[in-house]
Amino acid sequence: MPARPHPNLHTSKLRSEFLLSLAILGALAMVPLLVQSNYWLGVLIVSMYFAMMACGWNLLAGYAGQFSLAPAAFAMLGGYSTGLLAYHLDAPLWIGLPMSIIMPGLVGLVLGRIVLRLSGAYLALTTLSFAEIIRLVIYNSIDFTRGDQGLNVPALYDGRIGNYYIFLGVLTLIVGLIYWLLRLPLGRFLQAIRDDEIGAASRGIDVLRYKTIAFIISCAICGFAGGLYGTFARLVSPELGLIAQTGLVIAMVVIGGMGTLAGPLIGAMLVYTASEFLRDVGGIQMIVFAALVIIFARFFREGLWGLLRRVAVRRAASKGTP
Amino acid sequence: MTLMTIQSLEKRFGGLRAVDGASMDVHEGELLGLIGPNGSGKTTLLNMLSGHLKADGGAIQLDGQEILGLGPTRLTRLGILRMFQMTRVFNRVSAFDNLVVCGLALGMKEPQAYARATELLEELALAHVMYLDAGQLSGGQRKLLEFGACFMVPPRIALLDEPFAAVHPVMKEIMSDFIRRRNSAGQTFVLVSHDMPVIVDLCPRSVCMNAGKVLAEGKTQDVLQSTAVIEAYLGEDATQEDLHA
Repeated sequence: MPARPHPNLHTSKLRSEFLLSLAILGALAMVPLLVQSNYWLGVLIVSMYFAMMACGWNLLAGYAGQFSLAPAAFAMLGGYSTGLLAYHLDAPLWIGLPMSIIMPGLVGLVLGRIVLRLSGAYLALTTLSFAEIIRLVIYNSIDFTRGDQGLNVPALYDGRIGNYYIFLGVLTLIVGLIYWLLRLPLGRFLQAIRDDEIGAASRGIDVLRYKTIAFIISCAICGFAGGLYGTFARLVSPELGLIAQTGLVIAMVVIGGMGTLAGPLIGAMLVYTASEFLRDVGGIQMIVFAALVIIFARFFREGLWGLLRRVAVRRAASKGTP
Repeated sequence: MTLMTIQSLEKRFGGLRAVDGASMDVHEGELLGLIGPNGSGKTTLLNMLSGHLKADGGAIQLDGQEILGLGPTRLTRLGILRMFQMTRVFNRVSAFDNLVVCGLALGMKEPQAYARATELLEELALAHVMYLDAGQLSGGQRKLLEFGACFMVPPRIALLDEPFAAVHPVMKEIMSDFIRRRNSAGQTFVLVSHDMPVIVDLCPRSVCMNAGKVLAEGKTQDVLQSTAVIEAYLGEDATQEDLHA
């Protein structure tokens, strides 16, 4: 073990972020006791859907440094995996929902092996092209997908409260899974790859292999989020895969704290709830989020969680503790 | 005993022959100096040895096994560790975690990697900055950190490209002492440097390259006294004193 635990060491950092994440999820568990409005519970359920996508995308972009522009497309793929099975084969959700993990994961494996040899803007553009192609294919395959009419999906649970706790449970599992993965050597390998791919390969890390693993897990998480969302909305449509949805996910992660465990949760809850408050003023909400993303990307690279952490470390230092 | 054999290695960039049929042997446990003027092909040669560049021709053998064409990850796992001229560390993780990740990548268990990283940071006088992110370290400390990363698991051969460039003399001494200690324990090094006093001090044997070819090879003092080497470095009218100046 290192001479003494320190907040800037990988394991300590992860542990404190995980505890904060659990505190946020615990607070969310209390919300239905205070909020009875079906509308606001619905807003929070959709926030949690975005939080799942944000967590999945953050694993890939924040920890592994691979900037994909397809998280919403994979959520759409997940939603359609469940929806198509139910529509064409009457498949029950215990088959449909696991398929919303497996199908996007498999597509992620194939796409990842091709696009992860690229990096930076090339990777972003390739994944953006994939996202738009797959959305247009679904949109135009009217006989198979019913096009822009979307597909009806059976509900997993009827009431708002029940759905709220299902989403909260799944989000907690996803946060737990990511924490567990990052505690493995994989977590350190991804961070090394993010900081310097050539350096990582020169230390014995199989860069393409670990990037592909991160891509598959990220796609599977986004896919499951989409599948679950379909059971709540009882509908999946090509709108799930709009690039604007990906933009929202990126805004959430950047504002909350990219490359941190708690950041996507903070970002998703704040951004989506704020977007509901700003709904009445129309298009201005996207201007506000875009401006916030620019400010955070320029001045606060670790987002709101980074700011909180900096204040905590400064306080601890002023008290003379590490 | 020969550890690595390099035969007629070639690398072309368009019309430029960056490495042009270079051949040399690296013996087990030796500290070989690789010198030559700028653009002579030293780094390109190292890039091929560490798998970062594909050679256009020739052969490289480690322990008698052909390794030409293998990528950097495979070669690192075979024990060929590389330190770069332009420092490559993981900027957004602590100095301690920078070393730990290298140990884990080469199969160490976490407690073993923690102990080894702590030991190395102390040996390289970096213990006081172990909790800082690598991006917050000075240029010299970052070089020392990358240097240490090569020794988390003792390599078969350490390829060091300009480890002393732009490094404070105190850190240079720490690195030199480390190299001496490891070499006397049997560690094999290939050291690329423009710092002639250090080459003379550390490397009993040297190879000098110029224009992609091996110009001279042998005892370091003999190589440095070679007229061809002096001319390659300093032009036709130069003397050996000019080379050491």
